[in-house]
Amino acid sequence: MAQVSAANTQLLVRDLTVRFPTTRGTVQAVNGVTFDLAKGASLGIVGESGSGKSVTAKTLMNLLPRTAEVSGDVIFEGEDVRRLALQGREHFWGVKMTMVFQDPMTSLNPVKKCGEQIAETLRYHLKRDKKTALAEAEDLLAQVGIPEPGKRVNQYPHELSGGLRQRVVIAMALACEPSLLIADEPTTAVDVTVQKHLLDLLDKLREDRGMSMILITHDLGVARGRCDEIAVMYAGRLVERSAPETLFSDSRHPYTDALLRSIPRIEQPSHTRLEPIPGRPPELINPPEQCAYAPRCRFAQADCLESIPDISGVAGMHEFACFHPANTDRGREALASNLASGRTATGLEISSAGASS
Amino acid sequence: MKQFILRRIAQLVLVFFAVTFLTFASLNLVGDPLFNIVGVISGIPDEQCEAVARGEIEDTKSSGLNMGDCALIAQAKEQNNLDKNVVERYGIWLSDMAGGDFGTSFVNGDEISDIVQERLPVTVRLIVLAQIVALGIAIPWGVASAYRANRTFDKASTVGSFGLLSIPNFALGVILLYFFTLRWQIFPSRYENAGWWSELKALTLPAFTLGLGLAATYQRLLRTDLITTLQDDFIHMARAKGMSDRHIMYRHALRPSMFSVITVFGVNTGALIGGALVVEQIFSIPGVGTELVEAVLRNDPPVVIALISVVAIGFVLINFVVDLTYGYLDPRVRTS
Repeated sequence: MAQVSAANTQLLVRDLTVRFPTTRGTVQAVNGVTFDLAKGASLGIVGESGSGKSVTAKTLMNLLPRTAEVSGDVIFEGEDVRRLALQGREHFWGVKMTMVFQDPMTSLNPVKKCGEQIAETLRYHLKRDKKTALAEAEDLLAQVGIPEPGKRVNQYPHELSGGLRQRVVIAMALACEPSLLIADEPTTAVDVTVQKHLLDLLDKLREDRGMSMILITHDLGVARGRCDEIAVMYAGRLVERSAPETLFSDSRHPYTDALLRSIPRIEQPSHTRLEPIPGRPPELINPPEQCAYAPRCRFAQADCLESIPDISGVAGMHEFACFHPANTDRGREALASNLASGRTATGLEISSAGASS
Repeated sequence: MKQFILRRIAQLVLVFFAVTFLTFASLNLVGDPLFNIVGVISGIPDEQCEAVARGEIEDTKSSGLNMGDCALIAQAKEQNNLDKNVVERYGIWLSDMAGGDFGTSFVNGDEISDIVQERLPVTVRLIVLAQIVALGIAIPWGVASAYRANRTFDKASTVGSFGLLSIPNFALGVILLYFFTLRWQIFPSRYENAGWWSELKALTLPAFTLGLGLAATYQRLLRTDLITTLQDDFIHMARAKGMSDRHIMYRHALRPSMFSVITVFGVNTGALIGGALVVEQIFSIPGVGTELVEAVLRNDPPVVIALISVVAIGFVLINFVVDLTYGYLDPRVRTS
């Protein structure tokens, strides 16, 4: 990546591939994912369940089960993360790189007091004594906007609401001042009003601390206002990557295009039908050598079934992996011919209702 | 919490009454207590003695009676309240018990409270030691096999624990006795109590005999629960926090995985008392088990009832403590 200067790059992921051998065959969870993250930047990884976004995050965090087969490079601040994992490096995860999980109801240990759970990282990584660690924990709880932190440190997770618990989780993740925070669907399990508060909090903390963030979500809307760049994943591959404005106004990959169409928009007249994406996510065991999205794609042509499109385009600006990208002449042609015949190259029946541009 | 404890105490009282009454009643129904006190002359029919009392027949050989037999029976009945019905006698027994009077043995006239005082501590120490051995082995063992589940160590453990589970107590006891006492002479062959060290040495082999099988049970339970707990999100979170594996296993996963072990711990204490019975025999330990067997064999109901009551109270108390432990293990139990 020429335009990303090495000094400013915090995280480099190159051709990351993750496979899980199972009795039914090998699950190809992540296939050749490549991206960079600049210091202090935020990247949104968007995709549906099974798209490989969480597996990517878990690979970075060294949380994959032992059976996983990983290849590719992950370089964090000049260090080879996969080698650190093999060496059993301590005080790296949790200190430089941490993660917040989806469900605050289950990601706190139910039998330990909140304060204790925050303090233990400080004691283990930064060798604080018990008293100092608890005082710092209380301070962290205040920083993440928890009222009465002095009381909360001595409470158990079940005594707190979901929103407060997620704040505790965030405080826990931030305890050792990490330079990268991976947030895996941090707001999916809490209700909408709390969602916004939490996202605002994450934004603020990120800015205050100059921390970078990878925000994993299935909700394009969540990623929109909060990320410098959005990467869309489908079937273990990155299919499109660009700044949010570009992605929302000028998407290229038909999957992104379809995702955008399935979001309800306030400017649409009421009772406008949302356009669901037909079909189901593909099987990740022994997938055929073709574009994984083709069976659900309104733009699919014969060449989509012959090989897998590589991600290409202007690196760092707008990249996508499609032979007939939407919002281009090639794409418009493909869609028009499919509409004319009533079906795509994969046999998906389409009609002109809600026709694409 | 207060209500919880009160409810438990009420349960304790109920269980105590149920166990003691059933034991009391069954021992009275199964055999004639009078026979155990005065022997064959208990077979003399009541009418005959009543006739003697009225002076209708003579208390001599001619009527099939020995001089003073009826007086003896009357005295025994009087002393042990046998002329009253079972419920009444149970009531008397209870009030005596409440006053600390366990009564005396029918057979040798020993004070039962002395027997309990002498025998109970030995058995309690044996059981406590056995549980310590069991937990001391099972916890690190369960953690180690769950940490690398289905790998070599875990698979070997499974074989090992099933092996231990399938050896009966008495066989294991004899094997241990053969190696550690006969061959290597590390531990004494009979129970001696000259200070705590000699007692500890004397109780070590019996404790292992009882504890090893238990350790295998606990290890199986702990392993399964740990494997489930290790799938939980908070374990991933702890790993994402970069905590060491050791810290995660012992400080995060262990406590929420102890429920089955603790439950079985409580229930097993009852079984341990039964197991102690056999093991006490093998290692000739003068505990409650040995005494209970002897009392049953010599038809000594007061001793049997007293010992069973003590065991029952102990069992209920331990399970009460186990229930309190749930609250410690999981704070969510405390509030609900």
